Amino acid sequence: MNTARDLPVVDGLKLSAEVRGLLRPGEATADRAGRVHRLPRFFYEVRSWSLAKELLLTPHLHLSELLVVDCREAPRLLEEFPHYVPCAVTLLARFVEDLRVRAGASVYVAANGGYRSPAHALSAHADPHQWACAADVYRIGDTFLNTQAAIEKYGALAREIASEANVLPYGHLPGECDDHLHIDLGYVRLVPAACDESGEI
Amino acid sequence: MSEPRRAALPLLDHILETARRAQMLSVAVAVHDYASEVQFAYGAARVFHAASTIKLAVLLALLKAAEDGRVRLGERLHVRNRFQSQADGTPFFLQADRDGDPDLYKAVGRTASLHALAETMIVRSSNLATNLLIEHLGVATIAAVLAEAGLDALRCLRGVEDEAAFSQGLNNQVTAEGLLKLFRALHEAKSLRPESRDRFFEILLQQRFNGMIPAGLPESAKARVAHKTGEISTVCHDAGMVFLPGRAPYILVVLTEYASGGATAPRNRAVASISGAVFAFLKDAADLHLAAPTP
Repeated sequence: MNTARDLPVVDGLKLSAEVRGLLRPGEATADRAGRVHRLPRFFYEVRSWSLAKELLLTPHLHLSELLVVDCREAPRLLEEFPHYVPCAVTLLARFVEDLRVRAGASVYVAANGGYRSPAHALSAHADPHQWACAADVYRIGDTFLNTQAAIEKYGALAREIASEANVLPYGHLPGECDDHLHIDLGYVRLVPAACDESGEI
Repeated sequence: MSEPRRAALPLLDHILETARRAQMLSVAVAVHDYASEVQFAYGAARVFHAASTIKLAVLLALLKAAEDGRVRLGERLHVRNRFQSQADGTPFFLQADRDGDPDLYKAVGRTASLHALAETMIVRSSNLATNLLIEHLGVATIAAVLAEAGLDALRCLRGVEDEAAFSQGLNNQVTAEGLLKLFRALHEAKSLRPESRDRFFEILLQQRFNGMIPAGLPESAKARVAHKTGEISTVCHDAGMVFLPGRAPYILVVLTEYASGGATAPRNRAVASISGAVFAFLKDAADLHLAAPTP
């Protein structure tokens, strides 16, 4: 198995009740500002951690790099396989790869800084991490992104890559970042062409 | 004066003379010997800035949380060098070059197990690991564990280098009596179950900073010391349990306070000197059967 194309795609509505309760596929949920968004419904099924570590989403980015979470993730999703990741993770991976090319250096995504489920302790509100559409980058090359200069420099670079890229500004308040660069692509729900969206949500 | 009290006078003289020579502002010593049942206390209720000795309280709270099933020591935590002040929520960051374990900063962005964080918090006195564990457990949880164990003299109110809390007078505090009580509660398995107690001491026995209590013991004693030091510009502490072959262990806590700005080595030597004097005192106490139970 070499690319995301080889991963099975599953309809979240057909998962076990336990997993559905954690991933809440297709459910409406509100962000911090009260705007409502629908959670992703279709997921790649990741059968083992070794597979996630081997599978390259882009020439340089392994799937595992966008899946690292800590003990704040729901135990079922943290410790048991298969894991499920929204299909939009491939778009995020392409964006991170583009950033790598532009920066000319490796891009490091923090733990809890790629995909995290709606059941993760940091998922109090809807945010693009739950869509696998956000990356918290803590380091590029040898530069740790914990200064205003570094965050603004690479934030500007990220904005140049795509108009849909949203970058949080440097600062200490909610909605700002001071120890990483938050980049997201909004709330993208990717439905692979072979998937059927009929059925109850 | 009773025989044990008279026998302790040279030890007291040594402590006071050491304090005078080292220009300490204050000193506290507490001893409990399980072999002879001798206890010794000087200034043991005096309150000191805890410095890194507070990490003992954090370790106790972590192991208690693991016992209660609220955490698992194998689970992993995001290593992030960003904390919020307990005073007002303002963010603060630690500096690797002011930390006992700069290596953990290389793991920023990744994850580490709670057990690994606990080990480096004690063995290398990592401030980063300490703050991560305090944040994960919560100061209220740590306070509750200390209260439940009857360790009211130990106060863990904030993480390390939380300047906003410091400026509001929120400081971690200990007394020699309080730290001695913590070691007693652990050794006697009153605060933790035996397997957690053993884990506690296993971690402390790996201590890398051995310039105080262990340094004062004769090599021939073949002592193993499960201990935790604490040093900032104004205090220099060591607290631990001394295990000697063929004999029950003893607990020793030495807390010292100085004017800001002195060198570390002479302060370490002063604590080591007190440790040596306590060892000699307890050796004599055992020889004299000072506290021998009435037949």
